[in-house]
Amino acid sequence: MMKKDIYVLSAKQISMQQPLCEDWMTQPVEYQTPFNRSIDPSFKDYISPIEARRMGKILKRAIATSKEAIKASGLDSVDAIITGTGYGCIENTEFFLDALSKDGEQMLSPTYFMQSTHNTISSLVAIQTKNHGYNVTYAHKGISFDSALQDAVLQMRLGKINSALIGGHDELTETFYRILKKGGMMGQDDEMCGEAAVSVVLGTNNDDYLCKLVNFKMLHKPTLEKLKAVAKDFQADYILTGISGNHKSDKAYFAETKELFGDAKLLKYKHIFGESFTSSGIGVYVAAQCLKAGKIPAHLFVNPSEISDKKPSKILIFNHSDGNNYSLTLLEA
Amino acid sequence: MDELIYTLKQQIIEALNLEDMKPEDIDENASLFGEGLGLDSIDALELIVMMEKNYGIKLQDPAKGKEIFKSVAVMADFIAKNRTK
Amino acid sequence: MTNPILITGCGVVSAIGNNKAETLDALLNNRSGVGPLVHLKTEHKEFPVGEVKMSDDEMRKRLNISDNNITTRTALMGMIALDEALKEAKITPEMIPNIGFISGTTVGGMDMSEQYYLDYVNNENHKEYIAVHDCGSCSEMTAEHFGKFAFITTLSTACSSAANAIILGANMIRCGEADIVVVGGSECITKFHLNGFNSLMILDTQWCRPFDATRAGLNLGEGAAYLVLETEESAKRRGVKAQAILSGYGNACDAFHQTASSPDGEGAFRAMKEALELADIQPDKIDYINAHGTGTPNNDASESTAVKRLFGENVPPMSSTKQFTGHTTSASGSIEAVFCILALQNGFVPVNLNWSQPMEDGIVPVHQSVKKELKHVLCNAFGFGGNDSSLLISKPEL
Repeated sequence: MMKKDIYVLSAKQISMQQPLCEDWMTQPVEYQTPFNRSIDPSFKDYISPIEARRMGKILKRAIATSKEAIKASGLDSVDAIITGTGYGCIENTEFFLDALSKDGEQMLSPTYFMQSTHNTISSLVAIQTKNHGYNVTYAHKGISFDSALQDAVLQMRLGKINSALIGGHDELTETFYRILKKGGMMGQDDEMCGEAAVSVVLGTNNDDYLCKLVNFKMLHKPTLEKLKAVAKDFQADYILTGISGNHKSDKAYFAETKELFGDAKLLKYKHIFGESFTSSGIGVYVAAQCLKAGKIPAHLFVNPSEISDKKPSKILIFNHSDGNNYSLTLLEA
Repeated sequence: MDELIYTLKQQIIEALNLEDMKPEDIDENASLFGEGLGLDSIDALELIVMMEKNYGIKLQDPAKGKEIFKSVAVMADFIAKNRTK
Repeated sequence: MTNPILITGCGVVSAIGNNKAETLDALLNNRSGVGPLVHLKTEHKEFPVGEVKMSDDEMRKRLNISDNNITTRTALMGMIALDEALKEAKITPEMIPNIGFISGTTVGGMDMSEQYYLDYVNNENHKEYIAVHDCGSCSEMTAEHFGKFAFITTLSTACSSAANAIILGANMIRCGEADIVVVGGSECITKFHLNGFNSLMILDTQWCRPFDATRAGLNLGEGAAYLVLETEESAKRRGVKAQAILSGYGNACDAFHQTASSPDGEGAFRAMKEALELADIQPDKIDYINAHGTGTPNNDASESTAVKRLFGENVPPMSSTKQFTGHTTSASGSIEAVFCILALQNGFVPVNLNWSQPMEDGIVPVHQSVKKELKHVLCNAFGFGGNDSSLLISKPEL
């Protein structure tokens, strides 16, 4: 897919791990509980009180990570802002639905409605950064971030843009966690659920970057043959899988990676970052930071006997969201 | 009237999520929109909802909000004259 | 654009028709589908709406879907429109695994969730609907009725969702990711957004009047439309002809406010300008603009300004068709694209119904029936949050 050099210039996160830093590499925060909200930084440096008062957590996190990622990229601004969110602004949707269901159809809050639409995240980031460029939001469960990434890559190949801020944002309230678990959407078996806010800046300029984005592909319900054919262009020594504690999904990851990538070493990240609909964005962040640092933390290895401090050259982020939608993102140092 | 003004300030703080503010911080004669507190059109809509919820006053035309929400004092006066709750 | 993107099939369902033929007839005869609420169970009967004239049961019957299957209204409308589009483009089930599907929606399965929300929270009832609440699941439900598409994704940019789905599809084709991509959107009316829009006080209790001095808000609508985008080479190989050409498109962000458009219409201006530049077509070659034209004081003023900035003194014939269908929100970009295709094919300008008084500094829309050969038309879709998109659709060269 790639015919142009594309670089990951920067990547920032707010999640179950310490926010806006890479402390998780050496001192990961450990969790045992099945549902966890993120560790938030102070948002005062990013948003004025009069603006912040209306914003739920997902919006504040999007602004903070976006501003940090743009700053770290060295760019003054980006040509496009493209966001992925699986479920959108759950807190505000919940407030509105709650009021609608319990109090009826009168006297409803416009703020909750306004802040509940999926694209309010991307739009707010544009307002805050005064950005008139291409702006789009994807909402397709576990490949929302991936769809956003794909869009940026397509446009860079077409020469329409030279940089893009890709966001992956999802939040989770206790109520929605219980609902989604009941519906079989997440929280199955030993799966630990969390929230993800990740902002990645892609660019075609290679002055200073975390890693190169070498290849990318998304597939829907592919046959094994199709996957094998595609996987030929995605070979890497390390495969960052979405192993999460969901037994069916994990079993599939083991089987598929063996079939597609042979003896490549398997890595995981959801044991410390949790599962969310845009956790594939966290996967890209994790892989990019490992490639920049020149090492993979021991606790990411699925198989302890494979732990190595060899400098990684390529990491593939392999995501098979709900078993139906696959994405492969190949990063190189 | 003083009691209404104080209560109104509390309700405004709650409706508009002015987290770090206390009723004492709001000057009842200062303009709420524009320069004063710097509220905007969405806040005006929230105040319309708040007025209906707490005082039973239903405002059909959002444009009228501009006059009524000039300041807390003006708002209190309007509410005192029109409340049904 | 060097290689043209063909539109080889399209399908539409809205308040004015359950297919293209009914839609064309309504447009030519100035017959609006806006009226009192019938299907949605809500207290707010005071708002005229453009509902699709089929219940969920009727749509299931049409599609041969048994009552045991879980469906949502948005997906059902989507399937009906998708069916028509695939048939027109002569796409057979065997071809589906090599075709992409991109859909735009914001409400997804909210029509069910808003009914069952308290059950979701408190008990085990209706939990099978939880998995179809989100936007992506809605697209998959729509697509799976026809087979396993090669890739599926979902855009959600409020009222420009379907337009942006069309843009993504075009970019995928231009990058060689697919020869054929089906693009568009679907949205049903829900209590959630009917009440949401009401809380923003932008709904009119009267029939809406886009670009009229007395306009007071929008009427909500619902519907779905899909277009089959295809390379010239693929269409030739398959022996299908182009219904229209997607010549250009633009997407820009107003970056002004989450629910209001800027006074200078910056996002709209940039989106339209980009569409013209991509198509390499000058403003004076545009024969018609299908406006976003919701009938809110804010949109129509902002859009008028943007159009005048781009076209100067020579604003082409322009109209809103939301008086026909209501504002179909996420689906409006593709529904109105189909209206543009019908206009191109049949040589007429859709009338801006219910107009009598020019607005201050506004465009004067086409308010009487006009028969005119059209070659290039612009189709605008502007979403909450300033997600502004514009499509340039052209008649195929003979």
